[in-house]
Amino acid sequence: MLVTEIQRFCMHDGPGLRTVVFLSGCPLRCAWCHNPEAQLQAPALLYSESRCIGCGRCAEVCLAGAHSFAPDHRLDRRLCRACGRCADACPTRALRLSAKEMSVPEVVRDVLRDMPFYGGTGGVTLSGGEPLAQPEQALALLRACRDAGLSTAVETSGFFDAGWLPDLVRCVDLFLWDVKDTDSDRHRHFTGMPAGPALENLRAADALGAATVLRCVAVQGVNADALHAAAVARLYRSLNCCRGVEFLPCHMLSGSKYAQLGRRCTLEASAACPPELLEKMQAAFDAQLADPRTDL
Amino acid sequence: MIFPTACSTPRPVRLSEATRAFAWDSLHHKYGLEARKTPHVDMSGVAGYRQMNMLEKYDACIAEIAARAPVRIVPGERVSGSASLGDAISYQVPGWADGQCLCMGASHLTADFETVLRVGLRGIEQQVKICAAANTDPSRAPVYRSMQNALDALRVWHGRYLAALDPDSENHRNLSRVPYAPPRNFHEAVQSIWFVFAFLRLCGNWPGIGRLDVLLGPYLDADLAAGRLTLDEAREILAHFFIKGCEWICGDVVLNGDAMHYQNIVLSGVDEDGRDVTNAVTGLVLDIVEELGISDFPISVRVSPQTDPKLLRRLAQVIRHGGGIVAVYNEPLVIQALIRAGFDLRQARRFANDGCWEVQVPGRTFFTYLPFDGLSILQNVTLQGGNAHFESYSALYERFLADLHAHVGRLYEETRTHFEYLCAPDSSSGSKERPCTVISLFEEGCIRRGRCYFEGGPDYNIFSPHIGGITDIANSLYAVKKAVFEDHIVTFDRLMQAVSADWAGEEPLRQQILNGYSWWGNDNDEADQIAADILGQFADFCAQYDAGAPLRFIPGVSTFGRQIEWVSGRTATTFGKKKGAVLSGNFSPTPGTDARGATAVIRSCCKADLVRQTNGAALDIVLSPGSVRGEGGLAAIEGLIRGFTALGGFFMQMDVVDAAVLRAAQADPESYQTLSVRVSGWNARFVTLTREWQDMVIERDTK
Repeated sequence: MLVTEIQRFCMHDGPGLRTVVFLSGCPLRCAWCHNPEAQLQAPALLYSESRCIGCGRCAEVCLAGAHSFAPDHRLDRRLCRACGRCADACPTRALRLSAKEMSVPEVVRDVLRDMPFYGGTGGVTLSGGEPLAQPEQALALLRACRDAGLSTAVETSGFFDAGWLPDLVRCVDLFLWDVKDTDSDRHRHFTGMPAGPALENLRAADALGAATVLRCVAVQGVNADALHAAAVARLYRSLNCCRGVEFLPCHMLSGSKYAQLGRRCTLEASAACPPELLEKMQAAFDAQLADPRTDL
Repeated sequence: MIFPTACSTPRPVRLSEATRAFAWDSLHHKYGLEARKTPHVDMSGVAGYRQMNMLEKYDACIAEIAARAPVRIVPGERVSGSASLGDAISYQVPGWADGQCLCMGASHLTADFETVLRVGLRGIEQQVKICAAANTDPSRAPVYRSMQNALDALRVWHGRYLAALDPDSENHRNLSRVPYAPPRNFHEAVQSIWFVFAFLRLCGNWPGIGRLDVLLGPYLDADLAAGRLTLDEAREILAHFFIKGCEWICGDVVLNGDAMHYQNIVLSGVDEDGRDVTNAVTGLVLDIVEELGISDFPISVRVSPQTDPKLLRRLAQVIRHGGGIVAVYNEPLVIQALIRAGFDLRQARRFANDGCWEVQVPGRTFFTYLPFDGLSILQNVTLQGGNAHFESYSALYERFLADLHAHVGRLYEETRTHFEYLCAPDSSSGSKERPCTVISLFEEGCIRRGRCYFEGGPDYNIFSPHIGGITDIANSLYAVKKAVFEDHIVTFDRLMQAVSADWAGEEPLRQQILNGYSWWGNDNDEADQIAADILGQFADFCAQYDAGAPLRFIPGVSTFGRQIEWVSGRTATTFGKKKGAVLSGNFSPTPGTDARGATAVIRSCCKADLVRQTNGAALDIVLSPGSVRGEGGLAAIEGLIRGFTALGGFFMQMDVVDAAVLRAAQADPESYQTLSVRVSGWNARFVTLTREWQDMVIERDTK
C-alpha cells in the first residue's frame, strides 16, 4: 500500500491513544486540502527550498537532468520522474518522496509497536488521502489490526466503491466521515466531485449499522455558514448509528506543503475559519437539532 | 486570581476564597521576601563562639535560631510554624558570624515523619536519652549532646509559637499536643508534620516529605468515619500545608530555578504488606495541586498495572494543566530493582525518594549521588578528542566500556576512602562533613548508633554514581557503527577530523549523518540497544564494587540539567551535533533527534533493563497543550502511563508546555511570575531560571 506517513501518539482521531496511517491517493481535489501530497496515486517529489544547502548531490545522481545549479538550485518538475534517486542522495532531506510503498504486514508491525499504550479504547485510524481508494489493502490492514485486538477507525470522504461496504462495516469500529459540503453545487465546485455518491454511501453504511462521527471542516467563504450547519444537523438526525458531529476549523496552514509539491493552494488565507464563526455554526447546528421539525 | 494553566480546561475551584488568596500571596513572594529581610541570627555576640569547635558552634546556632528567628503567624492559617530566616532558603545554616553563615544544610533525604507521628518528639527525646546512656563509646558523647541540644532548641521554638498564638485558637490547641505527643486527628497530624518540617528547614535543611498519603491517610479516614471532619474541611487544612510550603518563594533568578528545595511527596502504591495505600489524602493532594498549580512540592505517584483507572484519570486531569508537577514511578519495577540490589522486600515496598526522584527507603537513608558526563569519557578519553583511530566498531565499543569501567572504579575508590574517613570516630565526630544534628534526629539509625547523618548513622548509606549523556553516547556510537563501518559513507579518520574541526567544511556530511539515521528515541531497536547494553555494563561495573553494606554503590541515570555546564568539556559529536549544543537531559533523547512522538521515546527508554538502575532513570516527556486537549488528551496521558508501566520504565515526568508561552515569558517575566516548568526532579518557576536554563527548556520542549 502507498503510505505517506505513519503517525504514532495521536489523540484526536478516534477514541483513546492511536496510530494514524496516512494512505496516498484521493479522488477528490478539495480546495482546502491540508494533505495535498496524499492526493496522488504515486509518490511525488517534495522539495523544501529552505533546507537546501546547495551541495549539488541531486544534480550528480539525477538521470533526467531535473536538477541544475546556476548557482542556486533549480528543480524542473517537467523533467522529474519521481524516481527518488535525488531524495536518497540529499543530505538535508530537502528532497524527499511524498509516499512509499509498504506491505500490509510491514504497516501492521509498525502499528502494533504501540500496543502497550492503546489500552481498551485506542488503536489504529486510517486516513489520507482517501484510505478506501486502496480498498483491498485497507481492508487487510484493518482486519489484521482488529484480530490483534485494536480498535479500528477510518477517516473517509465517503468516495469509494460501495461494494466494499459490507466487509468494511464488519472490521471498522468507527468511521470518521468527512462531510465536505451539503450544497451540491458548491461540493462539485470546490472538491471536483458531486456530493451524491458519498451521501449514498453514508446512508448505506448507516443502514448496515456502521458507527459514524460526521466531521465537517468549516471553510470561510465556502461552507462556514448557518445553513450548512443546519443541513448537517438534519443529516445527522436522519442517521441511526451516527454518534456525533464535529465542526473543525479550516486552518490554511498547509501552504508549505503545496510549495513543496510545486503547487499553490487555490484558496486564499482568509478561508481559515475563526473561532467565532465556528461557534455560530455550532449554535445553528444545535438550534436545528432542537427544532422538532428536524425529523420531518 | 487565575492560577496559570497550559490547558484549555480551566482549573477547578474547590477551596475557599481566603485559602486561594493565601496561596496567591505565598506564590507571589510575599513570605519569601519577608524572610529575606531577616536572613539569619547573629552569632558574633554569643559568648565564646569563636573558640568553639564546629559541632559546638552548630549547637549554639541552632539554639540561637530557635530563640530568635521571627515567629510568623499569618491570620487565618490552619497550620503554624515558619522557616522565617532568609539564608535557610539558600541552603545555609542561618547562624551568622564573621561575614558568613556557619555551613550548608542537608538535603537529598526524606525525614522520618512516620516516627514523629507514631511516638511524637517526646518518644524521640526518650530514645536519645536511652541510647546516650547505653552507648559506652566516648566518641559518641558529643553527638548525643548535640542531639539533646537540638531537641531543647526545638522545644524553645515550639514554646514561642504557643506563646504567640491565641490560646483559644485551634492552632494553639493542636500545637499544645503535637509534635510532642502523637496526633489524635487529621488536623493535628498535618500540624505535627508541618512543624517538624518547618524547623528542619529553618535550620537550613531541604528535607523531602515522603509518602504523605501513607502518613496522613489513617487520620483522615478515622475523622471522616466518625463524622468529625468533612472532606472539604480536610482539603482546606491540607491546602495550608502546601501554601506554607511556598513560603520560600522569592522570585529571584537563580541558576536552576527557585523551587528546588527537594520537598517531594510520593503518593499511592502499596504498603509493606503489599496492600494498596491509596486513600482520601491521595485525592486531596491532587485536588490542591490541580487547583492552585503549586509546584514546590513535586508529586511522584507510584503506579502499576493494578492502579485504579479512576486514579489514572485524576493524574491525567492534573498533569494536563502543565507545570510538570506530577510524575510517576513504575512501582513494581522500582520494588524489583531494590530487591535485586539486596533490600528487604518490606523496606523496598516503603520506597520514596531523596526529595528529587532518586529512590530510597525514606527516613533511614543517607544518600548522595556522583554525577559524571559519560559522553565526555567517550569523546575525550576513548576518542581522544578526535585523535583516536579504531579499525572496527567492536574495538571502539570495547575500548569505551573499558574507559567507563575505569572511571567507575576511580569513583568507587574516592567514595570508599571518603566514607571510611567520615565513619572513623575521632574528635571531630558529628561535624566531619559538616554538622547536621537536627537531620540526624529524624533518620532512623542515627540515634541508635550515636552517629550523625553524614557519618554512617542511617541504616542505609547510598552513594550512587549517575551516568549522564547516555543517549548522546548511544547516538555517537551508532553514527560510527553505521556511517563508518556499515554504510561506508565516511572513513573513521575523516569523521574524527570532522569532529575535531567542529564539522567545518563538512556540512553535507554532517547533514547526511544527522538526517540519515534514526537515533535513540525513535523506537529504532539498533540505536536503542546500544544505550541498553551500555547501561547494563554500567550496572555490572557498579555491582562489582558494591559491597552490600555499610556503603552501597548503586547506579542511576541522570543529568539534572548538567547538560548545560557539560557543554564546555565536550567536542562536536559524531552524529552531527556541533560543539556548544546542549544535548540530552536525564534518560531522554538528544534534543531534535526524536521525530516519532512520545510513545516511541518511551519504547526506546524501556528497552534498557531498568531493574538494574537501582537508583533510577528519569525520562522527561514534553507534550504540547493541543495534544492534551479534551477527552482524547486525557486518554493520551493515561495511555502513556499505561505503556510506560507495561514496558518497564522507571520514572517519567510529563510536562505540558507551549513554547510560544515560554518565549512570551522570557520577554515579559513580570506577567508570568508563577508559570512553572519541570526542570528535572524538581520544578522551577520559568522566569526564575537563568537565560541559559530557559533556552535549554525551550530547545528541549520544542524540538
